[in-house]
Amino acid sequence: MENHLENILVFATNIKTEVDKQKVSNLLDDHSGIHQWNIDQEDIDCVLRIVSNTLSEVQIIDLIYSQDFECAVLE
Amino acid sequence: MRTRDTNKEELVKQKAIEMLVKLGIEGFGMNRLAKESGVSVATLYIYYTDKEDLIKKIGIEIGQNFFNEMVKDFSPTMPFKEGLRKQWENRARFALKYPSNVACWELLSHSSYRDYILHESLSDFKIIMSDFLKNALDKKELLPISTEVFWCVAYGPLYSLLRFENEGKNFGGGPFKLTQKTTDEAFELVLKALTL
Repeated sequence: MENHLENILVFATNIKTEVDKQKVSNLLDDHSGIHQWNIDQEDIDCVLRIVSNTLSEVQIIDLIYSQDFECAVLE
Repeated sequence: MRTRDTNKEELVKQKAIEMLVKLGIEGFGMNRLAKESGVSVATLYIYYTDKEDLIKKIGIEIGQNFFNEMVKDFSPTMPFKEGLRKQWENRARFALKYPSNVACWELLSHSSYRDYILHESLSDFKIIMSDFLKNALDKKELLPISTEVFWCVAYGPLYSLLRFENEGKNFGGGPFKLTQKTTDEAFELVLKALTL
């Protein structure tokens, strides 16, 4: 059985520290297209997880790039 | 749209439980779990927001499964002897059927996740068991003792026997098998200690 979820996008980033996280927090918090987000900073890839029904992977990558962080789709 | 496959999710959960028992919370990681479950790290993050979320969800699920098994054919209004016997049956069945889950539960209940998991999964069970004890006290079927002493005397012998059963060995290193006769023998002694 499979059930459909909201669109979840996951990325490997270099958003490593609390200070790094602060730099992207406002942007992600305030974005109307982002329903929920978190970064697993315990993980080696500092995985950014975004729940959004409207944004594409490329749009998220652009958003993170704009804050001078790396961001790649996690395979 | 990404979809989630519930069979795969079940496999991930079982693997996570095994790994938590084997490696402990500190040694456990999402990357390794992905590798050992044969799913991509990205897939794991579809299921769970992070390691903490995964551990909490697994703990709550084990707690809820435990709760569902414990209340099977049990009612807090049962006579004390009958109710306690049912608890022994239910606890033994759960422990023997899901040894990894029980080991994982033990681990999590000694961690910082303890309060959250207990609150989320066993609040109702606590109420049911309190009612059971209160009824037994009111009916003068049970000695007035503290909850901790009650728990030790009521279930300690069962969990000790289950440990022998899990190890399959007795004190002398010979084979051990938990039989109905042994269980009944212990249960009768427990009743003697707890009842008026």
